[in-house]
Amino acid sequence: MRRLLHAILLGLLGAGVVHIIVLLLVPEFSERDAWSRLAMASDLYRMTRLDAEAGGTPVVKSVDPLFYAAACRFDLSEGMVRIKAPGNVPFWSVSVYDRSGHNIYSFNDHSATGRVLDSIVLTPAQMIEIRKNLPEELQGAIFVEAPIDEGMFVIRSFVPDDSWKPVVSRFLEQSSCELQDF
Amino acid sequence: MLAQAIPQRSACHGPLPRDIPKRHSSFPRLLMLKNAFLTLLALAIAIGGGGGGVWHALKTQDGIGAIRIGPWTAFPDIGTQAADPYSKARVAREGVLALGQAEGLSFVAERDSGGEQLKRQCAYEIEGGFPTARFWTLYAADQSLGVIETDKPRLAALQSYQVLRQPDNSVVISVGHRPAPGNWLPSDGSGRMYFVLTFYDTPIASSTGLSDITLPQILKVGCNA
Repeated sequence: MRRLLHAILLGLLGAGVVHIIVLLLVPEFSERDAWSRLAMASDLYRMTRLDAEAGGTPVVKSVDPLFYAAACRFDLSEGMVRIKAPGNVPFWSVSVYDRSGHNIYSFNDHSATGRVLDSIVLTPAQMIEIRKNLPEELQGAIFVEAPIDEGMFVIRSFVPDDSWKPVVSRFLEQSSCELQDF
Repeated sequence: MLAQAIPQRSACHGPLPRDIPKRHSSFPRLLMLKNAFLTLLALAIAIGGGGGGVWHALKTQDGIGAIRIGPWTAFPDIGTQAADPYSKARVAREGVLALGQAEGLSFVAERDSGGEQLKRQCAYEIEGGFPTARFWTLYAADQSLGVIETDKPRLAALQSYQVLRQPDNSVVISVGHRPAPGNWLPSDGSGRMYFVLTFYDTPIASSTGLSDITLPQILKVGCNA
């Protein structure tokens, strides 16, 4: 009887250990995280719609039904990436995520020059390089320094009512996500 | 990425050869089924309990790092490096891309102000003042926090530019199957329901702003059982 108790206690202790190990391993091995889902839907540097409006099931759970969203994956080890979207919409906000879906940096249209979305994501090393000689065309852009290699860039845009749907859709579809080299 | 993967793999191969001689020595020595049974029991409890515990913890809405204001719950840290391991695991498992601080902050209600679970067949009234934000959206959600499907032409969602306000700038929203005058949030069907209230471009998203805000109450009006 005592041995049974001993085994159960040992089991419970083990359960605690297994619990912690599994918990810490879930983010490492998940194949359902945002990066993996996006990777299944499209290639690097391709803006992909996240909402269901573009047809098919939504790629990543884009929670708010009054929002449209698009995302692209990038790899900063290949060079810095420039994201642009033309047009005027009621509200847009963007977030930069790392490979495992942690939010690294976010800003919205009030932070941008003339409310135009023009942003560059780069590593601190690339930032030092580009500071030496900042090209004219990048002067209005928002620089996001991210100490990562692989990451995701998400644009969210508010759809106040049905009449805004085509405008917001066009805004996201015309957005670009390009590898920039210097 | 590659550099990380290689040492892990070699660590997996490592213990294997050491395990085998142990089994060789223990198997012939004892015929005791009892010992084997007890070992199995301990292992079953450890693996089942540990794995099941994680699964259960990731399924429940509640968690560490939650901020509760009345019936509303928010996770300001979710999706950041500062998040607890449970939030991190949930983010990885569900493929969530959480809103950043400059974007907004979401609150989820799973119970009304009386403490009862929200149900799709019930009518509710959401009333009160809303904290400062450029705008907010409110929608009725199912278990996976997607907007509920109704057979009505309107989406089960409202936003602050379209709501009618009281003289004191507070808002009263009627939630229910039947259309209601004023602000109506359509709901339908049966089963559990959640309300998701998201504030965009708001100072409350910074954690210091969260201490003294008030959010609207959720009052049950009646149920269509």
